[in-house]
Amino acid sequence: MDEEIKKITILPGINKFGKKENFEKIEIKKGQVIAIVGNTGAGKTQLLYDIERLAQKDTRSRRKFLVNDKIPDKEMRFNPERKLIASLAQSMNFLMDISVRDFLKLHLESRGKKARQGLLKEVIKEANEITGEAISPEMNLLNLSGGQSRALMVSDVANISVSPIILIDEIENAGIRKEKAIEILVEEGKIVLIVTHDPSLALNADKRIIIKNGGIVKILDTTLKEKGIAYYLNWIENYNLEIREKIRQGREIKNVEIYCEPIKLKK
Amino acid sequence: MKFVIFAGTPGSGKTSIIKYIVQELKENFKLFFAKFDCLQTSDDERIKQEYKIPTVKKLAGELCPDHYTALEIPKIVKENQDKDVIILETAGLCLRCSPYIKEGLGINVLDITSGDPSRYGPILTQADVVAVSKGDLISQAEREIFRAKILKVNPKAKIVEVNGLTGEGAIDVAEFIKLSSHIENKKLRLKHSMPSAVCGYCYGNKIIDEKEVHQRYLAGKELKKLIPNLNCGKCGFKSCNEFIRAVLDKKVKKEQCPFIKQKVVTIKKL
Repeated sequence: MDEEIKKITILPGINKFGKKENFEKIEIKKGQVIAIVGNTGAGKTQLLYDIERLAQKDTRSRRKFLVNDKIPDKEMRFNPERKLIASLAQSMNFLMDISVRDFLKLHLESRGKKARQGLLKEVIKEANEITGEAISPEMNLLNLSGGQSRALMVSDVANISVSPIILIDEIENAGIRKEKAIEILVEEGKIVLIVTHDPSLALNADKRIIIKNGGIVKILDTTLKEKGIAYYLNWIENYNLEIREKIRQGREIKNVEIYCEPIKLKK
Repeated sequence: MKFVIFAGTPGSGKTSIIKYIVQELKENFKLFFAKFDCLQTSDDERIKQEYKIPTVKKLAGELCPDHYTALEIPKIVKENQDKDVIILETAGLCLRCSPYIKEGLGINVLDITSGDPSRYGPILTQADVVAVSKGDLISQAEREIFRAKILKVNPKAKIVEVNGLTGEGAIDVAEFIKLSSHIENKKLRLKHSMPSAVCGYCYGNKIIDEKEVHQRYLAGKELKKLIPNLNCGKCGFKSCNEFIRAVLDKKVKKEQCPFIKQKVVTIKKL
C-alpha cells in the first residue's frame, strides 16, 4: 500500500428492500473512532465487508467508496498482500506456544519489517498501560490472562500491523482499560471501527452509524453531552478495574469511594 | 463448464462455506454438487434440500477416497454437460493427494487452528485459492503470521479469510470461481501425481509380514492382468481393485467379473 489512507468516504447504496440509503455521504478520517450499531443481522457485517473491499457498487449493498476523495485503483482493492482491516474480537485467543518477545518478533518478520530499535519494548509498554497486570517479554503467550492477551493484541495491532483500519468487535469487560486501548490505536493514526453496544465505548466514538434492514439509517455525531456520559461511565469502569486488581492482590476492600472529576474536553 | 474442487481436513468448514458459495452462485449459474466421503455423509442431502440444486453422494469405501474421486470425475462431467459449475467436495482425509485439476479451480479450506502450514503437502501447496477458516478464533497477529507462512509454501495462493458461520469470504471465493477457466473440450490433468499403490496392502493384506505381503502383491498382480481395469462396476464393486481384494479375501469368485468369463470362453473355443 503506497498511498496513505487519510480519508474514506462512503456513498449510499441500497438496503435489503432495495431502497436507497438515507444519507448523502459519510466521511471517516484517520484517527477517528466510529461506532457501528444495530441488531444482529441488521447488516453490520455487510458494511464491514464493503469497507474491506472498498466496494464500487459491486456488492449486494451497491455502496461506493472513495479513498482520499478519489476512486481507489484496482491494486488497492485486490492486492492479496494488502489487508485493509485488522480485527480484534472478543472470541480471539492466542494459540502459539511461544514467549511474548519471540511472538512479536515473528509477527514483525511476517510483515517483512525490520524491528525498529526499541519497538518491541514499546509494544509491551503500551500493552501494560492497557492492562492492570504487567506483561513481561519472557512470559509464555498461552499463560497470559484474558486482560493481558487483549491488551497485547491491541498494542500489537496498533504498532506492528500495517492495516490502516482496526475493527473492534464487541470487546467488553475483558479486564482492560478500553478507553486507553482506543487512545493508543488512534494515536498510531488508525481509523477505529467499533461494533458495539457497550455504552462507554459507543458514546466515546466520534460518530455512530446506525444500521437497520441492511442499510445505514442514521449517522449521529456524538454530542458533547454523550461524551460527558461516556467519560463518567469509563471512570466507573476503571474504578471497578482498580478494585478488581486489589482483590487479585488479596487485599481487603473496606469501602468504595465514588467521586467525580470534572470532564476534560478534547482539544 | 467450470470445475471446482474443495479439499480440506475434516472439520475445517468446507461444507459450511460451500453452502454460502452455493447461495451466492445459484441465481446466475446452473450448479451441481458432488460430495465425496469415505463411509457416510449427508451433506449432499442437506445442500439439495436447502438450495434445490442437484447433488450426488460418492462413498469411497475400501478405496483411497482421492484416487476414487479422480476415477469418478469423468463420469460426473459426462453426466452434467448442461451445468455451469460443478462443485466437488473431497473427503479431505489425506494431505498428500487432493486431486486438484489444472484446468479447474482447486480450493483448500484450511483451519487456522490446525498448526503450521508447512506441514501440509499438495492439498495446500497446489491449491489455487486458500480459504482460511476460523480466523475469528485467533489473534490478528497470528492470522498475519499464518498468512505469511502459507505464502512461503504456496507463493501463488490467493488467500481469502472465510467464516462458515457468518459466510464471510464466500463472495470472494465465488468471485474466483466466476473467474476460473472453462473445462469444455479440454483434457483434464491432475496437478500432481498421487502416491503409488504398490504393495500387497493395496490388495487388502492385513498381516504385517514381508513374505505374506509380497505373495499377496503377486497374486493381485496376476488377477489384475486378467481383468480389464475399466472400473465398470458390473461385478458389483466400485472398482477393479476393490474386486481383486474381495477375490483374494475369498469373498467372491473371480468369475463374477463378466470380462474374465468372456476370456475363458474364447480360449475354450480355440
